[in-house]
Amino acid sequence: MQRIELNNMLPAVFAGRADTGSEVWLRNLTLERGKKYLISAESGTGKSSLCSYIYGFRTDYSGVLSFDGTDVRSLDVARWCEVRCRHLAYLPQELRLFPELTAMENVLLKNDITGFKSMRDIVQLFEMLGIADKQNSLVDKMSIGQQQRVAIIRTLCQPYDFIMLDEPVSHLDNANNAIVASLIADEAERQGAGVIATSVGNNVMINVDKELKL
Amino acid sequence: MKGLMWKLLRRHVSAAQLGGFAVANLIGLTIVILAVQFYGDVRPIFNDDESFIKRDYLVITRKVTGMGALMGSGSEFSGDAIADLERQDWVTKVGKFQTSEYSINATVGLGNSGRSMSTQFFFESIPDEFIDVNSSDWRFNPQRPEVPVIVSKDYLSLYNFGFAAAQGMPKLSEGMMSMIPLQFTLTGNGISDVLPGRIVGFSSRLNTILVPEEFMQWSNRRYGNGGTSAPSRLIVEVNTPGDVRIADYMDAKGYEVGGDKMNSGKANYFLSVVIGIVIAVGVLISLLSFFVLMLSIYLLLQKNTKKLQDLLMLGYHPRQVAAPYIRMVVAINGVVLVASIVLMVVARSFYMGMLHAFGVNGSSLAAAIVVAVAIMGCITAGNVIAIRSKINQLWRQTD
Repeated sequence: MQRIELNNMLPAVFAGRADTGSEVWLRNLTLERGKKYLISAESGTGKSSLCSYIYGFRTDYSGVLSFDGTDVRSLDVARWCEVRCRHLAYLPQELRLFPELTAMENVLLKNDITGFKSMRDIVQLFEMLGIADKQNSLVDKMSIGQQQRVAIIRTLCQPYDFIMLDEPVSHLDNANNAIVASLIADEAERQGAGVIATSVGNNVMINVDKELKL
Repeated sequence: MKGLMWKLLRRHVSAAQLGGFAVANLIGLTIVILAVQFYGDVRPIFNDDESFIKRDYLVITRKVTGMGALMGSGSEFSGDAIADLERQDWVTKVGKFQTSEYSINATVGLGNSGRSMSTQFFFESIPDEFIDVNSSDWRFNPQRPEVPVIVSKDYLSLYNFGFAAAQGMPKLSEGMMSMIPLQFTLTGNGISDVLPGRIVGFSSRLNTILVPEEFMQWSNRRYGNGGTSAPSRLIVEVNTPGDVRIADYMDAKGYEVGGDKMNSGKANYFLSVVIGIVIAVGVLISLLSFFVLMLSIYLLLQKNTKKLQDLLMLGYHPRQVAAPYIRMVVAINGVVLVASIVLMVVARSFYMGMLHAFGVNGSSLAAAIVVAVAIMGCITAGNVIAIRSKINQLWRQTD
């Protein structure tokens, strides 16, 4: 997947608004592989909606969203599964971890279908993010900041052309923000992938090619 | 992956609900297959059919009325009447009784004493396919004429339990009767021959004295007028014993059905009805238990909706997400299937003792097992389809 194209898109809830003052909605925008984008937004401007549309679990928008010229509305279930396992990594803002599983089990649940990382790599990621001792703790018993780092590790356990991070560092301090930023930058670099990060203020410390106001 | 998925998805699996389903379905399925098995086991008693072939035979005659006999109107079946009978869709085939057209005297030698008993006799014959006795002696060779005879089992019973018991005579087995040498004196057309004869079998279906059809044709040519007279008795093979249409037809035509064949047909019919009701009850229980399981699964999927959606978000295919639940259902249904077959076999052992007393050995378990597998197959297929479609619904609603 080389390009994500947004043509005149607008969430259904914003229908009727002529100009939102946005650099994304109702514009023709192309997100290219290999580039880094920061989508900064105030709350309620449709940031998570945009992520849902791109990740394919909501379709309540007007306009056209396409991957390499293919309208995503035409993708079938099997193709979406492939996109989610091979082409598009996504860190949801609400993390969507399974509280009844341990941190490691949550990560393995993803890695099992992609087979992307070795156990050693995964353990190393836990170490880098300072939660090595939490591998076998139930997610339920972890702080939100720790949970966010588990979710980041899980997001990295797949090959991707784009990595989409919805407020990836909202619960992290500056030190951890820097670690996450360099980790993501390195991983994306290695895969030649594009990065799409959103933020409502606490920006991930990545050098972006383009900042878009939502 | 299977382990982790199951660890996640087994949440909210209600052992009580699934246990309830398993027990209810076990009861329903066992009732159904036990009824099927019982029907198979018991049928031979009602059919009185030694060949164990699931069909019935009726011997029919025309009603002999006083006026008819005086007027000389025959009690024979015309060609048209036979053709009409053959057209009925409950009729498989029709055989004609041929009667001997000459005089017969049977003599039984009593050992070496030189004394003998003799009596007037008659023969009848029907096509071999209607005869329920298999004997290698059942043939006739005009070069060396010897007459094999099949007599009704009732005659032997009559002698053993009536005559012999009352007169203090020894009871005779079928084997002993077969060893008694008989002599038949056949007279007609100015010829008189003495032929040796022997009882080669006993029929429970045919209440008469039978000789091979081949012999009947030969002897009627030699001593009679060639066997051209119309038959006065017919044997009919019917495919639906107990069918009310048979009785209606017989009444309408003024035919009489010999023996209690119609009664055993009716008993068979009622057996079918009762078994049918029992099977229906069993199917109903199975069906209700099926809905209990469906409800339980829907509830389970409902409670686990968030988890299932999150798995789909991770890139799991709906089929992969459905797999643990499908495996669970298949395992439960498999256990219920095996358990119900075992229960059926155990229950059967209780009544088989009684059936052995009737001289019935029971039918094979194949039919009941096929029914069990078929019902379970349908239930499982229904479950699998429901789980798949429910999880497919979650796709696109992953918000």
